Amino acid sequence: MRKKSFWGFLMMAMVAFMLVGCSGSEETSEAPAEGEGKASTNADSKTLTIALGTDMVTFDIHDHNNTSTEAVHVNMFNYLFKKDASGEIHPELVQEFTQIDDLTVEMKLKEGVTFHNGDPLTSADVKFTLERVATDDKLQEYPNYKQIKEVQIIDELTFKVVTHAPEPSLFHRLSRLGSGILPSKYIEENGWDHFLANPVGTGPYQFKEWVRDDRIVFTPYDNYYDGKVEEWDELVFRIIPENSTRVSELLTGGVDIAVNVPPADWDRINSNEGTSVVQENSNRVVMLILRSTEGLPTSDVRVRQAIDFAIDNGAITENVLKGGAVPTLTRVGPGNFGAAEDLFNKFNYDLEKAKQLMAEAGFEDGFEMTLQSPRGRYLQDAEVAEMIAGMLSAINIKVNVEFLEWSNFVEMRAANENKEAYLIGLGNSMFDGAYSVDWYRAARFEGHTDYKNDRIEELLAASAVNMNQEERAAQIQEIQEIAAEEVPHIMLHQEKINLGVSDRINFVPTPDEMLYAPSMTRK
Amino acid sequence: MGKFLVRRLLQIIPVLFIISFIVFCLVFVAGDPVALMLPEDASQEDIEQLRESLGLNEPFHIQYLTYMAGLFTLDFGESFRYNESALPIVLERLPATIELAIAAMVIAIVIAIPLGIWSATKQNSPVDLLATGGSVLWKAMPNFWLGIMLILLFSVTFGWFPVSGRGTFMHLILPAITLGTGIAAEMTRLIRSSMLEILNQDYIRTARSKGIRDFFVINKHAFRNALIPVVTITALQTSTVVGGTLITETVFSWPGLGQLLIQAVNTRDMAIVQASVFVIAFIVILMNLLADIIYKVLDPRIKYN
Repeated sequence: MRKKSFWGFLMMAMVAFMLVGCSGSEETSEAPAEGEGKASTNADSKTLTIALGTDMVTFDIHDHNNTSTEAVHVNMFNYLFKKDASGEIHPELVQEFTQIDDLTVEMKLKEGVTFHNGDPLTSADVKFTLERVATDDKLQEYPNYKQIKEVQIIDELTFKVVTHAPEPSLFHRLSRLGSGILPSKYIEENGWDHFLANPVGTGPYQFKEWVRDDRIVFTPYDNYYDGKVEEWDELVFRIIPENSTRVSELLTGGVDIAVNVPPADWDRINSNEGTSVVQENSNRVVMLILRSTEGLPTSDVRVRQAIDFAIDNGAITENVLKGGAVPTLTRVGPGNFGAAEDLFNKFNYDLEKAKQLMAEAGFEDGFEMTLQSPRGRYLQDAEVAEMIAGMLSAINIKVNVEFLEWSNFVEMRAANENKEAYLIGLGNSMFDGAYSVDWYRAARFEGHTDYKNDRIEELLAASAVNMNQEERAAQIQEIQEIAAEEVPHIMLHQEKINLGVSDRINFVPTPDEMLYAPSMTRK
Repeated sequence: MGKFLVRRLLQIIPVLFIISFIVFCLVFVAGDPVALMLPEDASQEDIEQLRESLGLNEPFHIQYLTYMAGLFTLDFGESFRYNESALPIVLERLPATIELAIAAMVIAIVIAIPLGIWSATKQNSPVDLLATGGSVLWKAMPNFWLGIMLILLFSVTFGWFPVSGRGTFMHLILPAITLGTGIAAEMTRLIRSSMLEILNQDYIRTARSKGIRDFFVINKHAFRNALIPVVTITALQTSTVVGGTLITETVFSWPGLGQLLIQAVNTRDMAIVQASVFVIAFIVILMNLLADIIYKVLDPRIKYN
């Protein structure tokens, strides 16, 4: 009898274990159970906990190009200017500014701004910060700031930023990653290593603790120039690389926000009481970069157009991406300077027209080509590549999809070993269309795409130094229109940011993917 | 014994250098991290400029000599990802990994020794079949799957344990079970076969024929002799434990060396990879040395000359 009970118990335990493993959202449809692991399950808790997929890499604001690191930094550093949700740039640490000439902007800092160690913010801090990143070519952000020649100090709060050449994108540069203002006196007195271990900024939150690959903790700065943030007593970023673990933490109330939630978990989160998936357009557009090198079928504009017309972007965004992206014909989406908004949320799909174009180009019987793609880098990237290969078979193009591990993919691009097409997702941290359309500049991609359009060349040269922003926007828009017609790159879709969010907080994500705690409130 | 120890300790040096050379070659062949450090829209000029400033455009032998020069002072260079010296970053993670590894080994030993002995003494009984069958099944389960299942069952459904992270004793339980039970499965089978071999020895039969109770025969005569291979197995499991931490730490967001190494490989952070492998190799070698010393304690007949 005892033996039977033992076997029965064992079988039940194993079946229960397997059922949990195989079940979908059933187990999560109940309210989260009580447990030890909850950081902020209490609806009134004044600790805001955000789960990131990767750790912040450094407090050296100039030596990374990592959006998730910047998403943390924005809570403790301020820029001179700041973009709002619509992409408009407004002064942040700057009180007023004047464009003296094409090379010089005079700015005056707000009074009463202090760093977390009590030092007042001065022009010397701005000079130290901007000249460091503009002159040290070892820093990863150097390419984005080398346009700045120097910062001339006029008085304690007034200074001039001088550029090497007319720089129409200066304000875009000064409102992004790499332009948070550093405390010069504190760094000069204590050394750089001390700063990295004990960073101070002027932002609403001050550093408390960083346990690498585990958590970063901040507390509100009492003397924040814009008033102490009362909403949260503690801001915690937890590092949880595994997607399912990050989602489990959200479901059990361990975290308030989980970033990068994969489509497979959206139903789990939405069906769970107290959590939901929140989406917002990112600034990343996934596209096919085609080779226009002479001798290849893709050098013929009609073939490129045929490929574009044969891809049903609507089916991709709805079926493969489950609504996690928006089709587009431009990579300069809304919220970016110079966006051609009439090309956004649109796609070309006309199979008959595609076949006709193939016939006109002399490729009625099709051809064979290679599509290189990373796997796991972008939302459902491998599935998208496979689906495109299937769609192109309808116009007799046999696509061999070649998946590459990310570092090999990067090497392939750097060595110009790209074949007829590769799939890539490109962002734009400047939110300035000039940086997106620069991908059509012939000299930059000689031996890579070999695409050249004389009108685009003219427009690129003119817009690069055009200080008249209205004209510059029109020039960038015209480039997008030409590119949409000639399709050297086939735009697929603009990805959305997918976050799992606890119902206890109000949070509206922004396209720049920053996680700015003062904008989050308890319900 | 003293001479043996000195000789074995000296042997560690060339072994570590050989390992370092192999790791350096593998990392070099895998390519430099510059393209990964810059954004997707960085120009070729930007890539070349950064490559030059980091000294990564130097030929293999120059880079290797620079690396070796640093190695003599245990300087593995600066992490490209963290912009800090690599060794302190690696050593900072070591306590978390050691904590998890010890907990996993304790679980493995606590399960495997009694189960292995029990299974051997009840050969071919349902208990034996369950233990051997169960250990095969458990060993076949991938760590990441087991970890996720444990989270779903005990954290999400029952809410008994924290989902992830490190801090309290409760945080340690699920990752230690994930890592430890896989090792226990392997150890159980080895202990069982070792015990079976001992139990068939003449001196065990002699002891039994003298009328000594089974409990004493197994615990005083058989177990001590069966311990020698168990010690070997346990020491050799060190590398398995370290290997297991790569996955377990990632699933449970355990901030240890395993998670660091996975990220370093993904980002080609050469200095971190080299320092991590160096430290892991050192620990594995030390554990093997420790096993040899324990042999001596368990069986004084073993000579080291």
